[in-house]
Amino acid sequence: MTTPAIDTNALTRRFDDFTAVDHVNLRVDAGQFFGFLGPNGAGKSTTIKMLTGLLAPTSGSIRILGEDLEANSAEIKRQIGVVPEGMALFGRLTAGEYLQFVGRMYGLDRATTLNRTRELLEFMQLADDQKKLIADFSHGMQKKLALAAAVIHGPKVLFLDEPFEGVDAVAAGTLKAMLQRMIARGATIFLTSHVLEIVERLCTHIAIIHRGQLVAQGSLDDLRTGQGANGQDAGKRNLEEIFLEIVGTAREGNPAAAAPEQELSWLS
Amino acid sequence: MAELTGHENALDSLPPIPASTQLLAVAWLRWRIFLNNTFRRQPKSKLQIVGLVFVVLLRIVVWSILALMVVGPVVGSGYFAWLAIAEGHPQSLASLFLGITLLWLFVSVNGFGVAAAIQSFDPASLVRFPLRFGRYFVLRSLLGLMTPSTIVGCLALLAAAIGIGVADASLALSALAAMAVYAVMNIYLTRMVGAWLERWLANRRFREIFSVLMALFFASFQFLNLQRASAHAHGVRSSWLLSVLHSSGSYLDWLPPGFAAQAILLARHPFAAFAHLAALLASTALFAVVFAFRLKKQFLGEYLGEGVNRRAPAQAAPRLKKRVFDTRPQSANAETGAILSPVVSACLRKDWLILRSNSSQLIGMFMPLLFVVIFSMNRGISHFSSAYFLPTAIAYTLLGGLSSLYNVFGADGRGAQLYLLAPVRMRDVVVSKNLMSLALIVCQVGIAWIFVCTLSRTPIPVSVQISTALWTVFVVALNFAIGTLRSIQAPHYFVPGQARQLRSGTPTNRTSAFMVLAVVFGSMLLQLPVILAGSVFELPWLPTLVFAPFAVAAVLGYGFMLKNAERLLLAHRDVFAEKLCKA
Repeated sequence: MTTPAIDTNALTRRFDDFTAVDHVNLRVDAGQFFGFLGPNGAGKSTTIKMLTGLLAPTSGSIRILGEDLEANSAEIKRQIGVVPEGMALFGRLTAGEYLQFVGRMYGLDRATTLNRTRELLEFMQLADDQKKLIADFSHGMQKKLALAAAVIHGPKVLFLDEPFEGVDAVAAGTLKAMLQRMIARGATIFLTSHVLEIVERLCTHIAIIHRGQLVAQGSLDDLRTGQGANGQDAGKRNLEEIFLEIVGTAREGNPAAAAPEQELSWLS
Repeated sequence: MAELTGHENALDSLPPIPASTQLLAVAWLRWRIFLNNTFRRQPKSKLQIVGLVFVVLLRIVVWSILALMVVGPVVGSGYFAWLAIAEGHPQSLASLFLGITLLWLFVSVNGFGVAAAIQSFDPASLVRFPLRFGRYFVLRSLLGLMTPSTIVGCLALLAAAIGIGVADASLALSALAAMAVYAVMNIYLTRMVGAWLERWLANRRFREIFSVLMALFFASFQFLNLQRASAHAHGVRSSWLLSVLHSSGSYLDWLPPGFAAQAILLARHPFAAFAHLAALLASTALFAVVFAFRLKKQFLGEYLGEGVNRRAPAQAAPRLKKRVFDTRPQSANAETGAILSPVVSACLRKDWLILRSNSSQLIGMFMPLLFVVIFSMNRGISHFSSAYFLPTAIAYTLLGGLSSLYNVFGADGRGAQLYLLAPVRMRDVVVSKNLMSLALIVCQVGIAWIFVCTLSRTPIPVSVQISTALWTVFVVALNFAIGTLRSIQAPHYFVPGQARQLRSGTPTNRTSAFMVLAVVFGSMLLQLPVILAGSVFELPWLPTLVFAPFAVAAVLGYGFMLKNAERLLLAHRDVFAEKLCKA
């Protein structure tokens, strides 16, 4: 049995009386392109923060590449790359300076850092702007730079929190090309996104979290072949239908989620 | 497209990252940020060049004033230490060291605004990199060594060591050694206090309590100072305050300032001196351990925000009610009889809701009043001259609240783009912001005025009251006018009510902070000679005659600025959107 890249056991995070993540058991095998989906406020970003060591779980355990995250955080952080929710860039540096700093923090020697910085800036089409301050970058440029910084040390596991949010089609194409290249080389990618078409196209495995609880997990094909609530044929449903069915079902008990036609009538 | 080279990694085969690599990388990061902050502003137009020259000149003036604020405590420490040894009062060394520690802590906690405005990075963000805790601790200990508190504190301790050495050369070496250890102790003490404050101030309730405690601390400090001055003036040698101060001296022997003093004074008894130095080192280690304990929590991913109080959706969520929308134009307030336009009312209500939820900010705004009350109780000051006392008290009251006028959109952040998108006039938005500020200023000034008039030993003449009122109108209108200009030209995103330790930014940017100081102190410098002239030449109405045209001119200037607010925003909408909406 192979060691999973990500393995959580009853992972829980509470904020006072609110449970953001509730006994989540995730298993992501090495080499998978894993999509982590859920509606707004479901607990996706909280889960990613815990998986990358930025937020301590209230209870439960996390193993990355077979090692306990709490016990070996420095070693594990060397093997993972993260594009966090807020990107966490240093606005008063240029793109080149930032990548050099990140490379050195991950222990790359000076020559390797400079080479990879140059390569990444070219690949991300940021070479012409490498002397601009990051604070002056557009949102899409910042996303590309954040991804470049996340991969400069060649991580085995990559965590991406909404990498395609606010990114134009050209930039999204560049990001996707890089991610597919990483998968081809055996890396594991854990991605959250609201753009279901992209997730469907890229990911091989999916998990859906809703109100902090994992409500579905498996390969995309497994989820597709499950019987639809409205009796649709197996294999014909797309991810959006599956997602709406799972999350929508959970919403049925919530009157606030329903939007009767008579409401907002003044809009027409 | 360039090809990316492949990397072969394995968890157990990677060589360890040398500590020097990571420490130097962070030093390089700090250096690049400093360089980029200092040399990256290239003016593109003549106006920007003029602005840059003005800012540089302003900074030279302000930094000179700040340098004097550093020179004062440093020279004072050296002199006091020399005096203590030369005049034969060695026991007062411990009090001096305690004073330096309190100053260090005070400057560190308050940050002196200017230092806080310097753009840097949050050292807590380094936890995402593959650092071992030991290295993170070293980095957190080293980062911030060039802050005003550390510079002032270290220089004051060095001056004290020199003072002791000059007074008695045989104590020079032990003084240098003890002061070096005492400096390290103070560094860890301030780091420890800062780290715990950061933790506690993340909680709103604690922020409110902390604001009240700080207000009480400053008030009691002023009160004790007045008591001491009063006792001194009456030749009292045995007041309760003096006895408390004298008896507290013996307790200091058991605290780090006492250890440092004894380690110096017992230099001729090496064993005793070493024992006290060891006690000082133990105190340093204790503070370092408590600091490390806090950092460890942060390192392991402690959540520092407010608790998330999201409730599960209620069983019966409120239904949206059908509303009839008012489609009349905004100017309809004239028809409906409302005093304020709907835009002004809506903005006022929004700002009030934000202010109401930041009670610590409200407490801070009314703190100067506390000092006015205490000063009013001082016979020496209130007897000095009512002609000076009222204007000074009002100027002091105004000092704290004016800086917020220079960045009225800062707290709106991305929300400010609504002002660009919605069919509203910028003038209305500025008016609403200024109305809120004006209401607070009127409250502050009004209360201060009543206190001064009530507590003053001599009645304040009508001429002084009118001239002070006119000066106040002049200063407030002038600051409204320049503040409106700066708010649109150079907005700066910040989170109101949050502590500096949370790196949420400061209410104004550096240039605006310097401008506030220049305008307020400039206005005060205008006030004093006029009052003095009126007093010397026995022309009580002279200040009124001088300030009246100034007040009218300032009000007209503010009106002009309001009239042009729309045009100003159009001219600066790119900066406005970039600074606030990208925040």
